[in-house]
Amino acid sequence: MHSLLLADDDTELCDMLRQYLEAEDFAVTAVHDGEAALAEARSGRHELAVLDIMMPRMSGLDVLRELRRESQLPVLILTARGDDVDSIVGLELGADDYLPKPASPRVLVARIRALLRRATASVPAEATAPVHITLGDLDIHTGARSVELNGSPVPMTSTEYSLLEYLARGAGRVIDKEELSQQVLGRKLEAYDRGIDMHVSNLRRKLGPLPGGEERIKTVRGVGYQYVLDED
Amino acid sequence: MHRLYWKIFLAFWLSLVFFVTVTLVAASYYLQQTRARAADVNPHQRHMTLLREARGIAGSEGIAGLERWLTRLDRREVTPYYLLDEQGRDLLGRPLPPDLEIRLARQRSPMGQMGQMSDMMMRPAMAIRVASGRSFQLVPDFQGVNMWRVLGRPRVFALPLLVTALLSGLLCYWLARYLLRPIKELREATQAMAGGDFAQRVVPGLGGRRDEIADLAHDFDHMAARIEQLMTSQMQLLGDISHELRSPLARLVVALELAQQKQGGESTAEFERIALETERMNELIGQLLALSRMESGTGKIANETVDVNALLERLVENSNFEIATDDRRAVIVETVPAAIDGDPALLTSAFENVIRNAARYTAPGTTVEVAARIRESRLEVRVRDHGPGITAAMLDRVFDPFVRVGDARDRASGGYGLGLAIARRAILLHGGEIAAANHLHGGLEITIRLPLTAGRRRSGSGL
Repeated sequence: MHSLLLADDDTELCDMLRQYLEAEDFAVTAVHDGEAALAEARSGRHELAVLDIMMPRMSGLDVLRELRRESQLPVLILTARGDDVDSIVGLELGADDYLPKPASPRVLVARIRALLRRATASVPAEATAPVHITLGDLDIHTGARSVELNGSPVPMTSTEYSLLEYLARGAGRVIDKEELSQQVLGRKLEAYDRGIDMHVSNLRRKLGPLPGGEERIKTVRGVGYQYVLDED
Repeated sequence: MHRLYWKIFLAFWLSLVFFVTVTLVAASYYLQQTRARAADVNPHQRHMTLLREARGIAGSEGIAGLERWLTRLDRREVTPYYLLDEQGRDLLGRPLPPDLEIRLARQRSPMGQMGQMSDMMMRPAMAIRVASGRSFQLVPDFQGVNMWRVLGRPRVFALPLLVTALLSGLLCYWLARYLLRPIKELREATQAMAGGDFAQRVVPGLGGRRDEIADLAHDFDHMAARIEQLMTSQMQLLGDISHELRSPLARLVVALELAQQKQGGESTAEFERIALETERMNELIGQLLALSRMESGTGKIANETVDVNALLERLVENSNFEIATDDRRAVIVETVPAAIDGDPALLTSAFENVIRNAARYTAPGTTVEVAARIRESRLEVRVRDHGPGITAAMLDRVFDPFVRVGDARDRASGGYGLGLAIARRAILLHGGEIAAANHLHGGLEITIRLPLTAGRRRSGSGL
């Protein structure tokens, strides 16, 4: 049974969501303010946190910012529908995915499952074969789901890792956003979806350019992204 | 305070006084000049020249020629000239001014035979003789130069008249401009307000002017500020209400699915109906929020390069996915590679609402045609449906929130809702325009025009 942290200031909503999630075989801890959410998230008892943005004492975004200093716990943020700024800021701060409110519990469960699949090391059988991918200065250990740049580890969220691994496996090839969304986030690309873009920009920030000064992950306008193979 | 009153009064009054004064000054100046010339610029020589002319004409053309010459001379010269015969009568039969008569009489007496300039002109040697035997004396009457003679000779008077007309014309031009400039600004501001831009203010453009028009501008600005405040607070209220509606709606969604879960995941028609209506309500609230955010100028507008082709393709695809149960479809009939600067989310919602609306109204079995092209270096996107169209009177109002264009089906479907209102707001924020028209061959056609590169957005509206 997976243990989830659910943080939302609407207690009635939380109660019903907990009932729903428990019926789906999750263990749910519900908190109703930001500070409690941060304390619970740091406790290490949960495999995933669902954070509402609008919370008293500390907003969901602040909780996320604090949490990311020390933990790569998978985080799904709940944003107000139509407010794209929150979702963009959330993804920038290292959220793994976002869901606009009012969210259907069914969709929420699907997203949680996709995130948990990504976070656990048990990758699909066909992907287990190469345990180590080396691309120039970059080393990816698929077993441990860790990344090293010039020998030093780079901390990243499981979504960022999955995205990097997918791009690296197809290095040199342009991969369209639809495919990335489907394969990495486990969902269809939406009409105005910044998820993949924000994760890519996080990866760029963490990894920097190639030793040759060239951009590591290239944007192909209107299509998708490409992990550039260093020519040296 | 009647500053403008006094300005207009003084301007007209001064300009009249000025005109009359200049005319008088010019006339008397000219008069003086003529007199001075007659007195100083060797009157003898001038007289001799005219005399020679007269003699030549008298010799060749006789009395008749002399009459014509004298008439011409009189028309040209401000100083009257007389041709007097032996009896002292003028050739043209004009009566002599009394003072000239006196002078002539004096000269004919032996006492006056010496000294004066005019005297020598009277000597027999100066006579003009005609073949018939008559002889004439050419006599100038310098005292006869007066205002009427000056005014009666336009060639003499043309220059001062021109100068006066020009100067007073300039004065009046300046006055008219001065009066009308702020009125033009007021008019533009009023039009902008009618167009929905309540951030317009007039006073800053008047440069510290203080008169009745400035007072009017102050009042206008006051009114504009008040209306803007009302609009903003109305939109904020709408936004707040929408936001507050979200919470119960979120609970409703969860409660509904919880109930479904307890039924063992079975979905009845009633559950689906509740889910559908909930989704509709949710969408409506989302639209209200989006509109209030745009109208009240809260929130931010991104500035990115947006690939129009990709955007339209995705929207058409999504829209076809949504209406897949029907035999209606949206197709892109014309496309052009184009990029515009703006907020991708706002642009998406603008085009999405227009295409969705068309898909809703187009008749079953028909298509919604989307055409993008470049016209006059702007992007032009036309979205045409094959629906009933709308009456001409409602074409402008179709972009108002919740407008109903009148037919029964429309009432049942809740009117045009907020979609087109959102589309218009988003397009306006990108410096573009949107218009509705009935297509020649039936159906409604919405045309969106957007600047292609570096679209300038109105500053001040915040969003």
